[in-house]
Amino acid sequence: MIAYIVRRLLSMLPVMAIVALFVFLLLHLAPGDPAAIIAGENATPANIAQIRKALGLDEPLWKQFLVWVGSLLQGDLGRSIFWGDPVTILIAQRAQPTASLALTTLSVAVTVAIALGVTAAARPGTLLDRSVMGFAVMGFSVPVFVVGYVLIFVFAIQLKWLPVQGYTPIAEGVGPWLRNLTLPSIALGMAYVALIARITRATMLDVLAEDYMRTARAKGVAPRPMLLKHALKNAAVPIVTVIGIGVALLIGGVVITETVFNIPGIGRLVVDAIARRDYPIIQGVIIVFSGIYVLVNLVVDLSYTVLDPRIRY
Amino acid sequence: MTRITRRTALQTGLAAGAVLAAPSVVRAQARPSPAKTVRAVFHGDIPTYDPIWTTANMAAYHGGMVYDTLFGIDGKQDPQPQMVGKWGVSDDKLTYTFELRDGLKWHDGTAVTTADVIPSLKRWAARDGGGQHMMQRVKDISAKDEKTFSIVLKERYGLVLDVLAKTSTSVCFIMRKKEAETDPMQKVTEVVGSGPFTLNLQETKPGTQYVYDRNPNYVPRSEPPSGIAGGKKVNLDRVIFINMPDAQTAVAALQAGEIDFYEVPPTDLLPQLEGDKNVKIEVLNPLGNVGYIRPNFLHPPFDNVKARQALLYLVNQADHMKASFGNSKYARTTPSLFGMGTPMENAANTDWFKGGQNFEKAKQLFKEAGYDGRPVVLMQATNIAIMSNASQLLAQELRKAGVNVKLEAMDWSNVVQRRSSKAAPDAGGWNIFITWGGGTATGNPILLAAHSASGDSAWFGWPKDAKHEEMRNKWAVAATAEERKAIAREIQDNAWNFVPMLYYGQWVQPAAMRTNIKNLLPVPEIIPWWHVEKT
Repeated sequence: MIAYIVRRLLSMLPVMAIVALFVFLLLHLAPGDPAAIIAGENATPANIAQIRKALGLDEPLWKQFLVWVGSLLQGDLGRSIFWGDPVTILIAQRAQPTASLALTTLSVAVTVAIALGVTAAARPGTLLDRSVMGFAVMGFSVPVFVVGYVLIFVFAIQLKWLPVQGYTPIAEGVGPWLRNLTLPSIALGMAYVALIARITRATMLDVLAEDYMRTARAKGVAPRPMLLKHALKNAAVPIVTVIGIGVALLIGGVVITETVFNIPGIGRLVVDAIARRDYPIIQGVIIVFSGIYVLVNLVVDLSYTVLDPRIRY
Repeated sequence: MTRITRRTALQTGLAAGAVLAAPSVVRAQARPSPAKTVRAVFHGDIPTYDPIWTTANMAAYHGGMVYDTLFGIDGKQDPQPQMVGKWGVSDDKLTYTFELRDGLKWHDGTAVTTADVIPSLKRWAARDGGGQHMMQRVKDISAKDEKTFSIVLKERYGLVLDVLAKTSTSVCFIMRKKEAETDPMQKVTEVVGSGPFTLNLQETKPGTQYVYDRNPNYVPRSEPPSGIAGGKKVNLDRVIFINMPDAQTAVAALQAGEIDFYEVPPTDLLPQLEGDKNVKIEVLNPLGNVGYIRPNFLHPPFDNVKARQALLYLVNQADHMKASFGNSKYARTTPSLFGMGTPMENAANTDWFKGGQNFEKAKQLFKEAGYDGRPVVLMQATNIAIMSNASQLLAQELRKAGVNVKLEAMDWSNVVQRRSSKAAPDAGGWNIFITWGGGTATGNPILLAAHSASGDSAWFGWPKDAKHEEMRNKWAVAATAEERKAIAREIQDNAWNFVPMLYYGQWVQPAAMRTNIKNLLPVPEIIPWWHVEKT
């Protein structure tokens, strides 16, 4: 097992190297000039050229890449072109809101989705099943920002139950923290619920059709323990796989959700950085998100050994 | 064994509650009252704390909070002393002498002296177009003592006070000697001003929120506030600039009372806000913005004056304004080179405008220009609605005149990069781009970089016209307002012949705020938070 983990961790290195190369090239070959944005609308071409030089943006691309990779190898993600602050510090400052949003979304979405998927699988073809699947299709089809605006209109503007935007750190109380995260978590969780509910239903239906389930029914096992104890456990591997894969969906959704609900997280950091072409921030965030994604999938793979004793590494 | 009575349990509970609540209580006591705190959302984020290093307006908004200026433009667009107490000019109009007023202190408690002012002026002039224009005529800036300094000119220059007082970026903010001696190409990172607010770095989160607290040591002038001149008396304890990029969210937050002020509500959401009894709409910058269509003088067809003149007959400003603002009361047309409502507005050489759109005339002019049907690259900033709409409409107008338009969609960051290219349009260059500028700046032939027609060193598009430059310089040294107006008419008369750029309209941006926000001063380019009350 330990050898497997070490192997997987080592395999991360070429993956991250490829990500780094692609991110750098994509950003620097794409049009856009941070110096022109810094200089402002009334700046002359000479002013912009001076700023470009001061920021080192007039250096050849290969040189800029080597400098960045050299820093990266030392764990330094560089400094923001605009603020001059280290990117690692900027990401760390914004990590709590994003982690909170991801955590609440994941908790709510997994709980709701598995409940819906199991319920639908228990009564296939019924109105309940069709409703759950209809909801799943809708949840997957409607963009996060549309769900967000509708939730804001209904629950913040009309009913005044929850705030429109913002984030309260957990240190200021769990209540205020949850109040700010409720609407964003629902908006972000919709697609996730849809994805997990659909895979839960499909896998559960397969498992419920297995011989050993028929045997369990014949032996008189009650429906609820049969569903939750026998079927769900055997259906867990594909569900956990989808939850892991869905982290990419979650990361993409965080970027939009944080913008719609004005949450000062890493998603907002990267959106603002893209608009300004603040290359070090964009590169740093993508590298960090890529690392998280790879690690989450490693954890998912390791969880198979717990969920299915037949799997061993 | 000690018996736990109900009273003991109650006391213990209260004590535990008090201990647990203590951090919140301390926090609450340390924070200014919400009744005197304004939460405001503006058009963007502050890109840097150095308002000299960048011409971005948000940096000037920040500068207006923490720094002060020697002079300030009043409500009538006239310069008035601000940090300066007494001042005078010699009979030959070549020596300006200024004395700093009493009570000026930096946020660190030290006194503001001429040792701070002079390097501040020099650093600002190294970066600002208006400052550079003035410095070309300055022989010497020197201190007489800690409070008195003088600017000695090589030749008469009528804009000294105007340039020092202007609100268009870069504003001449005065910094401490330490920051003012920073290389003008490097940004200042420490924020210690002498203005009416201080930046609270503990509560500020760059990119998210910027917290400004009232400067208790600020001594305002005794005159009533007007423009950015007069007494900057602060009635609020705190102003928080919140970076909220999503307009829909900002409007909802305003309606829900989570923010107090929103600078740029989209036009299509104004009816929603106008129907809310807790929200009011005010125009804070009556001169607003002027939309520019900028042709590239370096490449065909707009290297030919006839092709540029053809543009005048193509563009229907009313249609352009309707495309972005509907039948809004906030938009209008502008035949004057200096924008409407500005002191230099005039009607010289505007027959092309009075005659209306004339495609036949435009076609004829393109023909006379020798236009050969080559693609004309028009850069469309798709992420800025007004520019995007104007680009699409202009493309259609050009097509109607027989021009082969290549509308290239990109985001604004891409436009600002590509517009600096002097390459041919089919080799990464361009023919036309669309932008806008402040009405106040547009009304000034010197302070707006886009008004320069100095060729290679001019603003993007690189217009060249010797007569235009000669008259701009003449305008700068004019002694009286009437003389300036007369020269402005000549400048415009000439400009609409060689067409350095043209306009697609002028509009004001109404700001939305909660009804309990009172006394916001209408100032172009900057939003002052002194004098404001939250009732």
